[in-house]
Amino acid sequence: MSDSPRNPADPFDPNPAEHELEAHLQTRPMEINMGPSHPATHGTVRLKIVLDGETILKADPEIGFLHRGFQKSCENSTWTQVLPYTDRLNYVSALCNNFGYLAAVEKLIGLEIPERAQWIRVLGAELHRIHDHLTCVGAVSLELGGFAAFLYGLEARELVADRVTELTGARLTTSYGRIGGLNRDLPEGWTERLVKTLDKVRELCDEVDTILTRNRLFADRMRGTGIISAQEAMDYGFTGPCLRACGVDYDVRKANPYWTYDQVEFEVPVFQNGDNYDRYLMRIEELKQSDRIIRQVLKKMPAGPVLVDDWRIALPPKPDVYGSIEGVIAHFKLVMEGVQVPAGEVYHATESPNGELGWYIRSDGGGRPYKLHVRAPGFPILSGVPRMIEGKLLSDLIPTFDTVNMIGGEVEQ
Amino acid sequence: MSNDEKKAAAPTPPPAAPSKPQPKNPGFVTFTVDGKEVVAKPGTNMMEAVKQVGVEVPYYCYHPRLSVAANCRMCMVEVSNSPKLVPACQTPISEGLAVKTTTEKVAAQQKAVMEFLLLEHPVDCSICDQAGECKLQDYYMRYDFQPSRLTGEKVMKNKRKELGPEVVLDQERCVMCTRCVRFMKEVANEPQLGVFGRGKHEVIDTFPGQKLDSNYSVNTVDVCPVGALTYKDFRFRARSWFLSAAPSVCTGCSRGCNTWADFFGQDTYRYRPRENEAVNQSWMCNEGRLTYKALNEARVEKNTTGRGPEALVVTAQEAATAVAEKLKGASGVAVLASAALSNESLLAGLAFAKDALKAKAVYVGGRPSGKGDAFLMREDKNPNRKGLEAIARAYGLELKPFEELEKALDGNKVKALFAVGTEVPTDEAAFAKKAAKLELFVAVAQNASAVTAEATHLLGAVSHVEDEGTFTQGDGITQRFRRAYPARGDAQPVWKWISGLRAALGLEGSYGSSREAWKAHAASVPEFKEFNWDKMAPIAQRKPGTGINPLPTGSDGRPAGFREFNARPENAAAVVKGESR
Repeated sequence: MSDSPRNPADPFDPNPAEHELEAHLQTRPMEINMGPSHPATHGTVRLKIVLDGETILKADPEIGFLHRGFQKSCENSTWTQVLPYTDRLNYVSALCNNFGYLAAVEKLIGLEIPERAQWIRVLGAELHRIHDHLTCVGAVSLELGGFAAFLYGLEARELVADRVTELTGARLTTSYGRIGGLNRDLPEGWTERLVKTLDKVRELCDEVDTILTRNRLFADRMRGTGIISAQEAMDYGFTGPCLRACGVDYDVRKANPYWTYDQVEFEVPVFQNGDNYDRYLMRIEELKQSDRIIRQVLKKMPAGPVLVDDWRIALPPKPDVYGSIEGVIAHFKLVMEGVQVPAGEVYHATESPNGELGWYIRSDGGGRPYKLHVRAPGFPILSGVPRMIEGKLLSDLIPTFDTVNMIGGEVEQ
Repeated sequence: MSNDEKKAAAPTPPPAAPSKPQPKNPGFVTFTVDGKEVVAKPGTNMMEAVKQVGVEVPYYCYHPRLSVAANCRMCMVEVSNSPKLVPACQTPISEGLAVKTTTEKVAAQQKAVMEFLLLEHPVDCSICDQAGECKLQDYYMRYDFQPSRLTGEKVMKNKRKELGPEVVLDQERCVMCTRCVRFMKEVANEPQLGVFGRGKHEVIDTFPGQKLDSNYSVNTVDVCPVGALTYKDFRFRARSWFLSAAPSVCTGCSRGCNTWADFFGQDTYRYRPRENEAVNQSWMCNEGRLTYKALNEARVEKNTTGRGPEALVVTAQEAATAVAEKLKGASGVAVLASAALSNESLLAGLAFAKDALKAKAVYVGGRPSGKGDAFLMREDKNPNRKGLEAIARAYGLELKPFEELEKALDGNKVKALFAVGTEVPTDEAAFAKKAAKLELFVAVAQNASAVTAEATHLLGAVSHVEDEGTFTQGDGITQRFRRAYPARGDAQPVWKWISGLRAALGLEGSYGSSREAWKAHAASVPEFKEFNWDKMAPIAQRKPGTGINPLPTGSDGRPAGFREFNARPENAAAVVKGESR
């Protein structure tokens, strides 16, 4: 130790007075940023958190980092060109977005699509529900420290992604389906591979279930955390698994059946506690129900066309386009001008993995949407996160943010 | 009624002639179309009358300015006084008539007509100039939308029949509506086209040994509802659905035909006539159509100081400062004003001449006179001579003929010249030689020429499609035109140059737009008193009529083709040159 006199103004003084070493911890609330780029915030969202010790006094989710002018982009493209933009909403279940959008446009036109196309849409939507839920469950486990369940979940998810790739040509950005049905039928031999995939996925899901559901380390952090009551959930506008985990039995597939959902047997699981654990269980149960629906679809799906035979709506077959003036006109007008959707407005909702995905669309009778708004299920749920987490521990935020499954793409558009 | 009763009944008197129905609106004919009541003057064409209530009847051969042919059969409608369908273009309207345009019978007729028209139509959309603004395409999607039922071959005809110096005919695409034949006969009064052959070998052609060489021949391309007649100048140069259109005025002569300037990026691709009953109806001449080229070619897009090899490319700011310095001490600067410039340019330019240069007189420049005719084309090839005269009169400036300027130059009486517009009515090369002697020659010019080459200060001016403004045509009608795209290169509107010069010279008054230039000076011109600059602006509609319209602006608010703005290599070179200096 040096003998030099201490400078009290210098905080880096190597010889502090004895009593200064005993300084008390600061009791001022601490403001920290979680995100916008943080491993536990899926998507780029920033959470402004005010902490008192480990207790969250205030949490303020701030979105906008993934905003890309979705609505305006849609207004500037033809009805068909909107489809690729919908892939980027909830990019983990692009098929549900594709089909939801197409169903809304078809409702505005007043168009009935071929039966086989309706079945394939049910199939695709359920396939991507599995895809979405596996990602969610895997991520919950990962962020609570359980890497094994994550790997099992992701292995199953990749199998589904392979089948989706074979079906649509793309792993995530599917752009599958067209106004009036589908752009292509199921590939040859695909259903057999799909059944094998489903068997394997079921096996892996059971594995995940075994690892997590009755695991003390997992259950202790999930049970009783991130609670929201049924009334509050409804007030915030929750839908989907997050609402059903609170005991409200609402599923668009049952409440307002579309396509052929009324012809398949499935149950809507409902839990009572509204905590993270129940939201997790919701997804485990829904994985089983989706599996059940897909197997029924494969049995019941009839043969037939997958696209309406109307050249005002659907592109003519290529030989007609190259070989007849009628075909080339229809093709040209549909591509350059877009499908002429009658003037009017429509709201149409489908059940996407995270809840009610609603489309409010207005047409002025032209080839481009006049106005297009998406009711993304993640948006009201994200707005409820502060209510679920304020006054709770910081460590509870991680599972809560996981089980609400916010997807930046659809919340911010 | 039983048979017995019939026999017993007395023979009935012959029915009296049906009394003429009393008109519901005296002096007008009242009838219904699809249940909607229409009141029209007697003799109104049914097609026009039903438009009043928003009912659209499809047609190919009908044209409001041509005689009725009723040969396309597309406008067939159901009427209460006929068991058969009748063509709406040819059927007179009558009191109490009930017209139906949406019945099954009508729809079947429309479908059948479309199928017949497309039966022999070649698969050409992908290489056709008309694609995107073609009635066959529009009506097919609306009324037919069925696959082809043709099993055999299509009839082959001449695919590129050169009818004349401007027009090429594709006989396979023709639907034989005969609009072009009727136009040449009735409007142009030069019956150069006829129908030859019969049945499916029927074709449009010129009479043997003759050519379609009328100065109004390109109007046939405009009236052609399909892609059969094509304009040689526009052929294969642009896809129509990528072009935006700005309402403009032709600057080819003092008629001032109303036009659509079709543009993409910062290039104009063609003029099409815009309807104006008082000026050009629906037509314009071939010569005027080609004047769009001056908007694209040989433009002064860089500003220079110094003459010949000493010329130096400078920014607009530097150019204005350099000119202002020269003008500050100068006296006896002569002023040349072009009759081809807009009123806004002349209002600002002549006010500057009066205020800063203390000019008492202005030499009248402008393009040399040419041929005129009895229909549209005028001998005076300047769009705004009337405007120049009115402004000079209001400002108290004497207008001197151009020849006097030449004489003054010959006699070395003029040493400095300030030219607003460099179009000259005499031989350009000869005048350039004289201008070379000038000590100071400030030229605000749109197009480069032998004259601008002699300028000591060359300031680039925008063309009329790059700015808002007005022209006063030969009959004294003032007409507004709209801006299509931003100024090319470093060119500026004349009012902007003047505004900059005024500021550099410390003079009052500056303008931020052509509208402000008008507002600042037009009140002093009696001819412009009645003209409401804002209200007379044509609606900035992108494309009239049917077909595919480009987005009004891109998603970011910029017009179609904005990526090409100032992206041409010569501009890139200008930038480099400016920097290296």
